[in-house]
Amino acid sequence: MAAPSSPGRPGGGAASGRGRRAFLRRLAWGASGAVLAPSLLQACGQGPKGHAGDGGGELVISTFPLYIDPGQPGAPGSVARFRTDTGISLRYVEDINDVRQFFARIQPQLAAGRPLAQDLVVLTGWMAERLIRLGWLEPLPLAQVPNARNLIPSLRQPSWDPQQRYSLPWQSGIAGIAYNIKATGRELRGIDDLFDPALKGRVSALLEMRDTMALLMLADGKDITRPTWAAAQPSFDRLEQARRDGQIRRFTGNDYQNDLLSGNLAACMGWSGDVAQLALEQPDLRFLVPESGGILWADVMVMPRGARHRREVAEWLNWVYDPIEAARIAAAVQYISPVEGVQQVLAKDPATAALARNPLMFPDAAERQRLHSFGPLSDAEEARWEERFARITEG
Amino acid sequence: MSPGLLWLLGLYALPLLALVPLSLSEPLSRFGLETVFRGRVANYLEVLQAHGPILVRSFGYAGLATALGLVLAYPLAYAIRFRGGRWQPLLIGLVVLPSLSSYLVRAIAWTSLLGDQGPVLALVAALGLTGPLDAVGLLRDGRLLNTATAVILGLTTNLLPFLVLPLVVAMERIDPRLLEAAADLHASPWRCFVQVVWPLSRPGLSAGILLSLIPAAGDVVNPLFLGGPNDRMIANTIENLLLVQLQAPRAAALTLVLMALITLAVLLQLRGRGAQELPLP
Repeated sequence: MAAPSSPGRPGGGAASGRGRRAFLRRLAWGASGAVLAPSLLQACGQGPKGHAGDGGGELVISTFPLYIDPGQPGAPGSVARFRTDTGISLRYVEDINDVRQFFARIQPQLAAGRPLAQDLVVLTGWMAERLIRLGWLEPLPLAQVPNARNLIPSLRQPSWDPQQRYSLPWQSGIAGIAYNIKATGRELRGIDDLFDPALKGRVSALLEMRDTMALLMLADGKDITRPTWAAAQPSFDRLEQARRDGQIRRFTGNDYQNDLLSGNLAACMGWSGDVAQLALEQPDLRFLVPESGGILWADVMVMPRGARHRREVAEWLNWVYDPIEAARIAAAVQYISPVEGVQQVLAKDPATAALARNPLMFPDAAERQRLHSFGPLSDAEEARWEERFARITEG
Repeated sequence: MSPGLLWLLGLYALPLLALVPLSLSEPLSRFGLETVFRGRVANYLEVLQAHGPILVRSFGYAGLATALGLVLAYPLAYAIRFRGGRWQPLLIGLVVLPSLSSYLVRAIAWTSLLGDQGPVLALVAALGLTGPLDAVGLLRDGRLLNTATAVILGLTTNLLPFLVLPLVVAMERIDPRLLEAAADLHASPWRCFVQVVWPLSRPGLSAGILLSLIPAAGDVVNPLFLGGPNDRMIANTIENLLLVQLQAPRAAALTLVLMALITLAVLLQLRGRGAQELPLP
């Protein structure tokens, strides 16, 4: 699940220098956003060569910004290595800012039965479920993806795609609490800490409704695997009051990272991989799975209806599901890799051995017990939830 | 039909008229594009009821930003026109220069300047102004970023060229011989300003107000980056209705309400003053 008026799950920016990095991150977020730059790919349903829906021999992937290992001088990133290894022309476009806004952009073409320029899109699990229900996805060419057998057991037959026909996870992760121990002055333990008056105006929640509401509902002792409107009301009320009182400074996507680094936020709802990355720059940052439980989410790769480059899609899926390649990506983005064997690959290399022991990347059975997934909402329920949530986040 | 009228018709009236049927419709399904026309006037009532306060806030912010912009722009334009001398083109260039960078980049840059650890708050603290500014509501719990003040500041700086340029143009039209005549008749500099410069520069003022109020009322970037959830403006709401809640009819209704209010503001501004007088640059 990714960020609403937000960027996707971010990965490793290569920029050095905290201020510059924060600025570039925010710029990447803004530039990828639908705010000012609706995807040119969507603009007229044309592929790079100008044929409707035809990528012109080029594999086109749309995804969130900073969600793959970037290239460094002398060390090409995954995108460049894939091109070299396979000879396939790949256009890797980091143009998804908010899956809901991305949906609004692709909706006209898919509803009209016209193909997109993209052959593969990285979306949240719940959005994939919506697209499957609408019949807007093609089954993945999994017969040509032998490495798909490397998918970790916990992500097999997910609720959004029980037959595992339409999606393969890109990364998975945890929504919980990120905080700066120096700014809070104490360790935090749970969601209630975000409502501590001592942190007034230095707390943010996520624009991703499911993550924010799920964390609040868990703290209220509610069952989020079968969310109901009535059960959510106390959490909505609490959130609304906190917004009115100025306890919550902002609702964010990935851009909470900049505010954590620059000291504008002391604590916030956030995603595990972000904080693991940020902690390399700012050792005072912590990520916490709240006492009441964290949210396990997954972003998945799906193929829109009418995608032209099935063979190339299969090559890409197979390539990123190779444990060695997946380990490179995981080391950069530091989320839960969906590929079996990544932990062993990371453990072998002294440079990455510490990552192999990171419980946020490789949660053990006990930790997994504390992670929950938000259950499905019907169309009508979702509209109702979105409306109330928007009233809170948009003032 | 004059070219101006054709322009207005093609690029303003027709697109808005095209929204009218949509604004009175209902979506056929949650995720489909099709809507069905039902003459649903309730869309207007619902958006006004739900988002009326944000509409008022938007015009409030736009008005404040325009007023603050005028306070800054008028002396600036005056200095450029009457004290600029041979540096005048350069000074005008400097006023316009920030507009050459991306609107988005400027808003993001402001987040660094106005942040809790940024130089503006450090200066405010050094001057001992944090408490007083907090007391009058310009800061919120000692913060500047993600407050209404930050949004209005962002709007003001973005609007400044739109205020300065019409004023400079209007002042350029003031015949220097009028100023000489006033001086010859022993008018003090202040009286010369009040009785000559100010009345003759007012068309520039009107044009500047129009050029800044309109984009400010519909701004989406500044409230998003510099404001908090209590400082959103109406364009943010329209964007959310259209792209997140997938409520195109309601988004259309709110857009038409916004445009009607802006048109009303323009008509009020033009009333009693011929549009041909406006020294639009």
